[in-house]
Amino acid sequence: MKKLVVLLMIMGILLLSSVAFAQVANPDWWKKAAEPYQGVVIRGVSESTPPSKTIAEIAAPAFEELTGIKVELETTSWDEMYNKEIQDMQAGAGIYDFVYIEQDAAASYLEQNWLIDLTPLVDNADLTAPDFDLPDFTSFIDSFKDEEGKLYGIPFEAFLKTYIYRTDLFNDPEIQAAFKEEYGYDLAVPTTWEQYTDIAKFFTEYGKEKGIEIYGHVAQAKTHPCLAYELCETIWPTWGVYNWGVNLENMRTSVENGGTLNSDTAKEALAWYVDMLQYAPPGVRTYTWDEAAAVFGTGIIAQGFLYMENLGWLANDPDRSVVIGKIAVDLPPTKPGVMEAAEAGEGYIGYYDGGAWGIPHSSKNKEAAWLFIQWCTRKEWQPEFAELATTVVRQSAFEDPIIDELNEKMGDYYTLMQEKGYLFAGCPPLPMQTPLNELYLQWISRAVAGEISPEECLDNLAEKADQLMEELGY
Amino acid sequence: MKGNKKQVWGLISPTLALMIAIGVIPVIYIIYLSVFRYSVFARTGMTYIGFDNYRNLMFDSEFLSSLRLGLSFVFFCCIIEIPLGLLIANLLTYEFKGKGIFRTIMALPLAMAPVSIGSMWVLLTNPDVGPLPYFLGKVGVEYNIGVNATQAFATTVFMDVWHWTPFVILTFMAGLASLPKDPYEASLVDGANRWQTFRYITLPLLRPVILTTLFIRIMDTFRIFDEVWMLTSGGPGTATRFVSIHLVREVLRSMNYGYSSAMSLFLLYLTIVICWLLLTFISAAQEES
Repeated sequence: MKKLVVLLMIMGILLLSSVAFAQVANPDWWKKAAEPYQGVVIRGVSESTPPSKTIAEIAAPAFEELTGIKVELETTSWDEMYNKEIQDMQAGAGIYDFVYIEQDAAASYLEQNWLIDLTPLVDNADLTAPDFDLPDFTSFIDSFKDEEGKLYGIPFEAFLKTYIYRTDLFNDPEIQAAFKEEYGYDLAVPTTWEQYTDIAKFFTEYGKEKGIEIYGHVAQAKTHPCLAYELCETIWPTWGVYNWGVNLENMRTSVENGGTLNSDTAKEALAWYVDMLQYAPPGVRTYTWDEAAAVFGTGIIAQGFLYMENLGWLANDPDRSVVIGKIAVDLPPTKPGVMEAAEAGEGYIGYYDGGAWGIPHSSKNKEAAWLFIQWCTRKEWQPEFAELATTVVRQSAFEDPIIDELNEKMGDYYTLMQEKGYLFAGCPPLPMQTPLNELYLQWISRAVAGEISPEECLDNLAEKADQLMEELGY
Repeated sequence: MKGNKKQVWGLISPTLALMIAIGVIPVIYIIYLSVFRYSVFARTGMTYIGFDNYRNLMFDSEFLSSLRLGLSFVFFCCIIEIPLGLLIANLLTYEFKGKGIFRTIMALPLAMAPVSIGSMWVLLTNPDVGPLPYFLGKVGVEYNIGVNATQAFATTVFMDVWHWTPFVILTFMAGLASLPKDPYEASLVDGANRWQTFRYITLPLLRPVILTTLFIRIMDTFRIFDEVWMLTSGGPGTATRFVSIHLVREVLRSMNYGYSSAMSLFLLYLTIVICWLLLTFISAAQEES
């Protein structure tokens, strides 16, 4: 009986994968292009996120079945992925044939010349599918080009980090009345940080009064790289402090050197961030990006900021989320003038992240890796991929009925991404962003722990960051 | 005789070659790297700077602070684990009901991987759902290792004590079992009480075992990483940023290979000095006993 169940399960999985890959636009082309590489094993490394896991579990086996090229894709933790691929590329060991390039790291990888230019491969008709359609990719692909327009990565995941809230709580008449009575205006999606603070305070106190566990704020405040990222990507830009406070012209951060890292605005924003932790659950200082999303999924958070790569399971997976059908997303609140600056292209209001596949110089199977990269980003598979992994990197996918259906479940996220995505930006081109993030973390975590004041923190940090830039030759 | 020598060399040469490959060559490479300014992300590439990395180390307040924290961690762990282990090992020399079960349960933490220990303590101490904050809250203690630096430090010490005291107990039990019986019989004849027997016979005879165990625990606690990394990642702030955590962050996140090589060598030197001091004590103790 047990064997029969296992057999049925295996058959089910195989059937599902074959259904998922029923839409291969031109199977003969793939077979012919892959003919010289049959039996080759290509290895890749990526972060263990829904898009990467979908590729490892569904795209890779189907590719192997069709082409005879075996794919071994390691999906591991974020920091482990960085360590593995950087050490491989730096040593030129050639362990990996394709690697995950997080948008943040793209500038570092290009500066170090670790990746091959994909443009010649794109232009090679024998190796590039006729319907690959490069212009169909969203503008996110530009994050993986150099100044000359050469392409080093093909995006397969893209998402925003933006404001998320509980519609059931915001629309509850009793809560609305209590909020209006307390603050004198209607409870609605906040457009200013003052409103956000009021809402956070209101929900946390409302929970205490009513004896229910509800908090008005969540953050990723653990002593972990995510803490520095939260300030740089989400908080400071909405206060008008862009590019991690770095003056990109001379790569300096301190006010005296033209940066904004220790500006009054940055200090005010950091002080606000630390103060707001009182409205988050008691364990907030132990949360990374994973815990922040997980806690939101338990239904005890009214509003906050999350990486939208989590939205898929938050909106669809009843095993992990109790907020299905109760969430919506919107633009983050901003300080006066910031939204206008972003609309004029002079600033941004949040983080547009994601990743691409790239091929290291040290890869031993570049052509086979290129075929697999195209396979993962095929136009006809993108709507299904979006359904499985909550990510869209092609314009055409936005038009698909599957996305319309998902959009409804996910609080109009895809509409926001398509229509307002231009207001968000990825990491600025900082080739030294990894050590810089570590330095930021070292100081910001001390302010969050109350060891030092936000002013002391940012003055010291700006000084140390300038020193680091100088030491690294910038 | 000459033939024998050749045979001996033939037999040990594979091990010797392996030791050189995985032990000596990396150390030489680290010594080489330590005299360069070398970060993966530097535009300048590798720049020879002599002993500047070592000099900077002596003025690096973050490093010195993490070294102080690391040594404090070693001190608190050892000062608790050794007496506690000795006490429990002594108690286990007596017969009592359930002794076998107690010994089995006691040794269980030793079978667990440090990463699992760290994960388990993350769940135990989670301020939102963990049982520790819950029960401590019931008795009026506000326990939150994400906020309170002292609690975070104390928790890492307690976690290490929980994990490694069984090892100390086992080594002491082995030591106690190997002690000669004659002095005890003589003490009985002389009318010594239990404390006097322990103080004047057991402790002096057990001294080499105690020092050896202490030696092992100092080395282990000095290089603690996995459990603390899982539990606090060095936080809150810098409360548990022990020197091992600081070093790993410097290598893996900052990728500052030159400076972190100098840091590693300094720590190696410090470890050797501590080992040498302890070995001197152990040798002296062995001679005495």
